[in-house]
Amino acid sequence: MTNQYYFDHAASAPRRDEVADAMAPWQHGVVGNPSGSHRAAREARRAVEEARDEIAHFVGAKPGGVIFTAGGTESCHLAVTGVANHHRRHHVTTSIVLSRVEHTAIIDAVEMMVRDHPSVTARYVEVDGDGVLDLESLKSALNADTAVVSVMTANNETGVLQPLDGVSSMVKDSELVAALTHTDAVAAAPWLDLAEVTASIDMISICAHKIGGPVSSGALILRSDVLLDAVVPGGGQERGRRGGTVDVAAAVGLATAVRLIASERREVSARVTNYQQKLLSAFAQLPGCAITAPGANRLPGTVHVTFEGLASDELLFLLDQAGVCAAAASSCSSGAAVASHVLAAMDMAPQRARGSLRFSMGAETNDGDVEALMVILSSVVERLRGES
Amino acid sequence: MKVLVAMSGGVDSSVATGLLIEDGHDVVGATLKLWGGASDSGCCSVADVDDARRVAQMLGIDHHVFNYTEEFERHVVAPFVAGHAAGQSPNPCIECNRHIKFDLLFERAARLGFDAVATGHHAQVVARDGQHFLVRGADDQKDQSYVLGYLREEQLAVLLLPIGAMQKSEVRLHAERLGLRTWDKPDSQDVCFIEASKGREVFLRGRIDVTAAEIVDRLTGEVLGETQAAELMTIGQRRGVLPGRDGEKRYVAKVDLAAQRVEVGRLDEILITTIHLDEPSLTFSHDVVADATVVLAQWSAHGRPQLATLHHDHGNRRRWWLQLHAPARPVAPGQSVVLYRASEPEIVEGAAIVTSS
Repeated sequence: MTNQYYFDHAASAPRRDEVADAMAPWQHGVVGNPSGSHRAAREARRAVEEARDEIAHFVGAKPGGVIFTAGGTESCHLAVTGVANHHRRHHVTTSIVLSRVEHTAIIDAVEMMVRDHPSVTARYVEVDGDGVLDLESLKSALNADTAVVSVMTANNETGVLQPLDGVSSMVKDSELVAALTHTDAVAAAPWLDLAEVTASIDMISICAHKIGGPVSSGALILRSDVLLDAVVPGGGQERGRRGGTVDVAAAVGLATAVRLIASERREVSARVTNYQQKLLSAFAQLPGCAITAPGANRLPGTVHVTFEGLASDELLFLLDQAGVCAAAASSCSSGAAVASHVLAAMDMAPQRARGSLRFSMGAETNDGDVEALMVILSSVVERLRGES
Repeated sequence: MKVLVAMSGGVDSSVATGLLIEDGHDVVGATLKLWGGASDSGCCSVADVDDARRVAQMLGIDHHVFNYTEEFERHVVAPFVAGHAAGQSPNPCIECNRHIKFDLLFERAARLGFDAVATGHHAQVVARDGQHFLVRGADDQKDQSYVLGYLREEQLAVLLLPIGAMQKSEVRLHAERLGLRTWDKPDSQDVCFIEASKGREVFLRGRIDVTAAEIVDRLTGEVLGETQAAELMTIGQRRGVLPGRDGEKRYVAKVDLAAQRVEVGRLDEILITTIHLDEPSLTFSHDVVADATVVLAQWSAHGRPQLATLHHDHGNRRRWWLQLHAPARPVAPGQSVVLYRASEPEIVEGAAIVTSS
């Protein structure tokens, strides 16, 4: 049996034991519906509200602004379509401003709005060669009809950080624009103090399984008084902003995960930053290897590189055979590595993007993993270079 | 042996995979993601990838998805469109086998440390005197040796075709025995990147300006009808062409896109006896076949092979052509003709693209 070296935390982080333990009582036997009025319901409601407090604290918002969802995709979708739908019912035209490097959770939600509603348009903001938002491009994208501006906190593929303060000050300073701001903080949540980094942003999306919590659990957090239409109306749960019974276990799991992440962040960041430096300097020695976005601030956990003349499919295959779990730029529904819209937006040549690899780390990553990866990747590259 | 098996999600490649595992090979499955656009099924859809992955899970082997969408666009779709725009009728399945499955995939398999590549095609590889020959599949109705006609010795030597010696009914029995979910899945029929509901015309219209043309009787000059897309007229084909006023069937004899004119004629007026071959495309499995060799030539997937003599001369312009022993309907430029051995009609000698006939 080959050892496993897990470098795909950004796809899904290992589930923490503490999370599983905290969720366990809410996964069997009587679990009251939090909307009910008897003791079982009250118990469930109490767990949900304690979780809500924890999550509000994590991003520095009020508990009333926390909307539990079934993950990051739903949170992002609710933010952009919820606000845009509310806006378009009160205005002749509506525009949504987003960066070219947003996750498809945002892009596809926006494109769906544009497709379904003639009064809605999308305006894409360019990024530079490192994938950092161009604030001048943002300025020209903003308009009086802009309902929402969505810029991710850090990119899920490259780990590149975006200038959120610059975004919010540009939106808020404009007398013309009354737009709300949203940030997809899913990739950033394990690493950054969101209370600080997203302090000026109106809406924040997070999800549990990237930080050691369960899948199908996330939240959209509203920092201010945001008017949005529910995507799924129903029983009026979550103050009418998200219908359907709140999943107590999922909420508890998310809250436990954010508590752990926040308490360990300083230690984990220091350790993983060290690993990142080590890997980047080792990979830079490999033939044809280029580090992606070398000039930008990046998350500690992400190492994104490209190999000239090699194919991600082949690199990943041999890495997998040697026990390394990693990823190419992004995956499509079939599981094939597809050309990354993020790398394309950075003007990376398609030939180079074809040989991209992402190694993402987390709290569980240790010295042994990092040492093994350096040896294995070096031999995989040597093998593919030797025979090509 | 370490075997990479190309799994399409269909019953044939699923059974091929199961049989290789039963034979004790170290098997890894791979599905090629070829087409990023809309499609019904065939080799490309997400549903087919899901089927292949599920079959691999049920058989207990690793499965990978290889993305060849760029290469597929470059080697298959773009030439398909360009061929039609030039009045030819290319066969995209042959081009896909040639460039994607049997060039890129074989090269990749070698780089990744595999000893052999397997597919679920209905054809066989037979070793004789240190050489490997492509042989028709045992099931006449399903034989796919035609679409594999460009394979060369170095590829045949590492190719496994586990179901080639079986009838389709046997394959389905194996699938049922192995408990495969694809056992009753219908065979794919059409070009994978073209949606059946829309057809070739809609697909081509999305890429090129198609040419409206008059359909003219080649002898009388009488206009018999018109077509909105002359690019879709295949030489030798009757479908899509109105019979003449006399009630006799007409066949496409010539497509002239520039003149917006499609010439049709009665069968006896358009028969041909010579097929010219494109030299760069000409591929022999082994040695070059000698001048004036009699072969059996087949130019469609399930067409009847015809006796012909293969000629070439080495003058200023190297030319290759087939002299048919009996007249035949014309063959559209761009189509492939596969050459089978006259003395052993099951064995493939080579293949080439038709330039004219």
